[in-house]
Amino acid sequence: MAIRNLLFEHREIAGIEEMDVYEKLGGYEGLRRAVTLERQAVIDEIKTSGLRGRGGAGFPTWIKWNGIPKNTDKPHYLICNADEGETGTYKDRELMLKLPHLLVEGMVIAGYACLGTAGYIYIRGEYVEPAWQIRKAIDQAYKKGYLGKNILGIEGFNYDLYVHMGAGSYECGEESALMSSLMGERGNPRLKAPHAPLPVHEGVWKSPTLVNNVETYCAATWILKNGGAEYAKLGTERSKGTKIISVSGHIAKPANYEVEMGTPLLELLKAGGVTGGKLKAVIPGGSSVPIMIADKLDKINLDYESCAASGTMLGSGGFMVFNDTTDIVLLMKRTSEFYMHESCGKCTPCREGTRWLFKILDRITSGGGREGDIELLLDICSQIDGRSYCGLGDAAAWPIVGAIKAFREEFEYWIEHKCSPIGDHAVPPTPVVVNPLLTLTPA
Amino acid sequence: MPDNRLTQTEASLNPAVTQMVNIKIDGIELQVPKGENIIESAKRAGVDIPYFCYHPRLSKGDAANCRMCLVDVFAPRRAPDGTVSLAKMPKPQASCTLPADEGMVIVTDSEAVVRDRKGVLEFLLINHPLDCPICDRGGECPLQNNAIFYGAATSRYTEEKRHFPKAYPLAENVVFDRERCIHCARCTRFTEDISGDAQLGFLKRGADMEVGTFEHTAYKSKFSGNVIELCPVGALLSRSYRFKARPWDLHSQRSVCSKCSNGCNIKIDYRLDSLQRINGRINEAVNEEWTCDKGKFGHSYVSSEARLKTPMLKADGEWKAIDWTEALQILVGKLRDADGSVAGIGGQRCTNEDNFAFQKLFRGVLKSNDIDSRVEGYLGSVNKPLYERFGYHAMGNAIAELEDMKTIFVLGSQLVDEQPIIYLRVRKAYRFKGATVINAVSSVPEDSPKVGDFAQLELVYKPGTEAALLKGILSVLSAEKLASVNGSAKGYTLEKAVEETGVSAEAIQQAARLMATGKLAIIAGREIANHTNHLEVVQAIGDLAEATGNAQNINLPGEDVNSQGAADMGVLPDFAPGYAPIENPGKNTAQILQAAADGNLKVLWVAGAKLLEKFANRELAQAAFASDTFVVVNELTMTETAQTADLVLPAASFAEKDGTFTNCERRVQRIYKAFDISLEIKPDWLIFSEIAARLGGTPYFSARDILRDISAQVPAYEGITPKSLGDEGVRWEYPAK
Ligand SMILES: Cc1cc2nc3c(=O)[nH]c(=O)nc-3n(C[C@H](O)[C@H](O)[C@H](O)COP(=O)(O)O)c2cc1C
Ligand code: SF4
Ligand code: SF4
Ligand code: SF4
Ligand code: FES
Repeated sequence: MAIRNLLFEHREIAGIEEMDVYEKLGGYEGLRRAVTLERQAVIDEIKTSGLRGRGGAGFPTWIKWNGIPKNTDKPHYLICNADEGETGTYKDRELMLKLPHLLVEGMVIAGYACLGTAGYIYIRGEYVEPAWQIRKAIDQAYKKGYLGKNILGIEGFNYDLYVHMGAGSYECGEESALMSSLMGERGNPRLKAPHAPLPVHEGVWKSPTLVNNVETYCAATWILKNGGAEYAKLGTERSKGTKIISVSGHIAKPANYEVEMGTPLLELLKAGGVTGGKLKAVIPGGSSVPIMIADKLDKINLDYESCAASGTMLGSGGFMVFNDTTDIVLLMKRTSEFYMHESCGKCTPCREGTRWLFKILDRITSGGGREGDIELLLDICSQIDGRSYCGLGDAAAWPIVGAIKAFREEFEYWIEHKCSPIGDHAVPPTPVVVNPLLTLTPA
Repeated sequence: MPDNRLTQTEASLNPAVTQMVNIKIDGIELQVPKGENIIESAKRAGVDIPYFCYHPRLSKGDAANCRMCLVDVFAPRRAPDGTVSLAKMPKPQASCTLPADEGMVIVTDSEAVVRDRKGVLEFLLINHPLDCPICDRGGECPLQNNAIFYGAATSRYTEEKRHFPKAYPLAENVVFDRERCIHCARCTRFTEDISGDAQLGFLKRGADMEVGTFEHTAYKSKFSGNVIELCPVGALLSRSYRFKARPWDLHSQRSVCSKCSNGCNIKIDYRLDSLQRINGRINEAVNEEWTCDKGKFGHSYVSSEARLKTPMLKADGEWKAIDWTEALQILVGKLRDADGSVAGIGGQRCTNEDNFAFQKLFRGVLKSNDIDSRVEGYLGSVNKPLYERFGYHAMGNAIAELEDMKTIFVLGSQLVDEQPIIYLRVRKAYRFKGATVINAVSSVPEDSPKVGDFAQLELVYKPGTEAALLKGILSVLSAEKLASVNGSAKGYTLEKAVEETGVSAEAIQQAARLMATGKLAIIAGREIANHTNHLEVVQAIGDLAEATGNAQNINLPGEDVNSQGAADMGVLPDFAPGYAPIENPGKNTAQILQAAADGNLKVLWVAGAKLLEKFANRELAQAAFASDTFVVVNELTMTETAQTADLVLPAASFAEKDGTFTNCERRVQRIYKAFDISLEIKPDWLIFSEIAARLGGTPYFSARDILRDISAQVPAYEGITPKSLGDEGVRWEYPAK
């Protein structure tokens, strides 16, 4: 089993969220090492590590860091995307809740490498406790001189860190919408290259801006402490290091598992343990990615290329397991309701299309399915996918296309018989645990 | 550039660049400016790309939302070995925001693009009420048009549509049909990019998203009418025009708005003899395509019931309708008897032709120089304030030139009310060209939009202390060696200015520093025009302009539609047409009224001047009208001034006559007759001409005849013919000094 706790190394240590404990276990060594290096050397370290963005898209992190201009008068902003809205994903929550200093340190390292003026941690509004922990960690870091003026005695290394709470919109995790929201605007996405400059040139307040996910910054901390080459030893050729997978659904031990990239998907399933019936399907990367039918899972490894080759995506690592009591059509109805609700409304295909999709699925699952509905669903999806203004439209279309591809007969069943093929489609049993994050550990 | 804007959406228009790039659209090779939006390049190539949300005058920030303009794009990609190949971008791109770049290849007619357009239109229509038969926009609706040419014939939507009550009362003049909205963000962008009040925004999200004001308050703007024309569907509707007509039943006549001196180009849309609505007409030099609400909604008087349709005579305190023969007889009799004791006031609301005929009647036939078109405070020689020193009278700059200013100083003006279109240019200079705006006023109104909303600096001074403020600024310029200062500020100190004006020393200093940084335009408003020490204030303005090297950038625009033209035409006591000095000058407006009040005037002819309503000294005007002087008024309706007259002559509005107006920047523009309300209504020039003929003068038979005389006799108007004015008008220039 390829559980490799790099970021989670100290997850179970009591008091690790406090500065003294964190420091005793090697905390802020990554930063201390970073500042002995040239800024470019820090970026090269990230390059060597092969780290790719953990927010979903898997974009090489060093390219972004390297893209921040080195000679402008403008302030440079660093943003941590802690909006974690992707259904089934809760890794950033645990990282912030238990290992807040890992993130703070990572953002200071990035601030050093990218000449940062200030960093903003944009935290999902519901994450009240994680935000407390982060705020506490920031306070402690200021006291220790890891934040503020002349950090670690380095003349001119001034860097501040702020927490900004989201207001309950999935779309605000999309990086350009996040920037709008951070600036106090409506949470709508902004024009992207080639229609507008890249965020690394003109992001928030028209200044160079770096946006990375929580896990990305945390990994940077590990990399600077242990070396990029060390990180690159793990994983596959193009997916290096580890990925935290948030496992949920019909699973005995739902929890965040940090696995080495390239770990066979079935191995993770074994560790988690499917409950309540036979395994039916898995969504490996959050609700936005296509669902995978059980008998195809043996070919999938948990890394970017393997998932892509199988027609799905590693995404944010929101790994959802479904046993054979699951009604896929109902699942898709609920999924489409989510996207309908979260569509920001800016662009035509997503605004109108997501509601239409939901209405059709709602009609089918209320016994009003009609011949041609499946083709219509696919058509609508194809009219959204790639045509919308931002990725949310695509994310709304992919799961439905994926589900129809994998479970077409269930849609046909609903349309023909006006009832579920699963019989009594019970709500998945919730594991009886008080706080899964605190009580469950990977096997 | 200050960042006190309400929001931070990208302010970017098509960039003004000179570098050209080679691109290909549907096989047509062409050169376009680098960075131009592809949708504009396609126009050059004659390729039609349908769109809804795109608008060349609105910023790109919130655009690209309708997805109607998607095209396939192939961009050159350089391989590591240096070879360049074309690669198709994986997703279709919105051509309305895609900047043209070297080697780009655009395809707008592929099967995929055709399908994308069908898809977008299907989406837009699934929740659309399709109530075209009763929709004001039907027949001129971009949604209808695009649906016909690019949409599918049928819809596959069978679910319930989104419903809202009709006619949500959004603004005084605008109602909102939320069902018809396609969420293109044109109206919201208008309020942020153009009018500057940012009142409209989107509420809620997803398919529930709707346009509104943030707290469901009324949309209170001075430019709200523009969103009706901008809206690509019938969602934003004119309250007064709603359900009035089908567009194809309307006739449209080119015209110029009669409401202020900015001279917006408009279209009069009418049925039979009744005006239905006013729409903006493009003139890049003047209004671009906008109108203000005064202009758009303020012309209902033209076809109102209140219009005078016959001459009215007051006999024993009672009004009596009489016919023209009788009216002219009475008037001719009075004028003959007066034997030169006649005077005329007015002309600012009349055409150049009316004015020329007016002064010609007085000077040539009635042998009186007692005429004046002015009703503002300063009535001294028009040459004194600016001309003698700088060689121009009112506006040193063209309206469009304001865009090129580094700094704009607005002084003593509620600019948005007095000069709405100049206000929009100032706003554009700020929003899109990076100009810094300084506003100095004696009182700050609550309503938005106003210059103060985006001014970098606002100086609120005690009423009447403009000169002190200006001298204070000059003394800072001098003390800080920012400019060499001569004239009025000699010996003046900052402390004194602070004490007199009540403006803080820091604010005056900041203003001075901002003004010393480059091209500065000064726009002075009503408070200056009506200032009791007009000359002193203008002197100080001149000193400031001179000190900062901006002597040609002073602007004292008039306020009425033809304030400028009336002066050009010599409706002044001391100047003949073309500002030719007169040997024995006559009386000005105040002196004429005084003479009447003193019983020293036999006949007073008021041509469309609202003396009681507008003249600074109302008591004097009342006394004049109460005297024995026979007062004749040319008017459209029974205004307060007309009520006090002895004879009222029904005059034609701008919609019922041909002619020219000269706007505040000296642009001579043509108006065209749209319709007749009644054959008993005459244009002013015709009334003057008929009187002239009866008193032995030569009559005119058309406005064109008069224009011919004008261009022959007024040097600045030399060569102006109806034809030469074209669609944009002609701005006359002072001869180079
Ligand atoms: C609709 C939508 C929602 C997203 N939500 C999140 C999110 O909650 N957290 C996140 O880290 N990235 C999210 N992303 C991805 C971000 O846009 C962006 O790619 C990421 O923050 C970049 O960081 P990384 O390079 O470290 O992955 C979302 C993207 C889309 C299209
Ligand atoms: S796809 Fe369009 S409507 Fe959906 S969230 Fe993005 S911009 Fe908003
Ligand atoms: S907006 Fe256009 S498409 Fe809609 S009802 Fe009116 S005319 Fe018809
Ligand atoms: S009201 Fe009209 S202009 Fe405004 S968003 Fe809707 S369709 Fe566009
Ligand atoms: S016109 Fe380009 S997206 Fe609307």
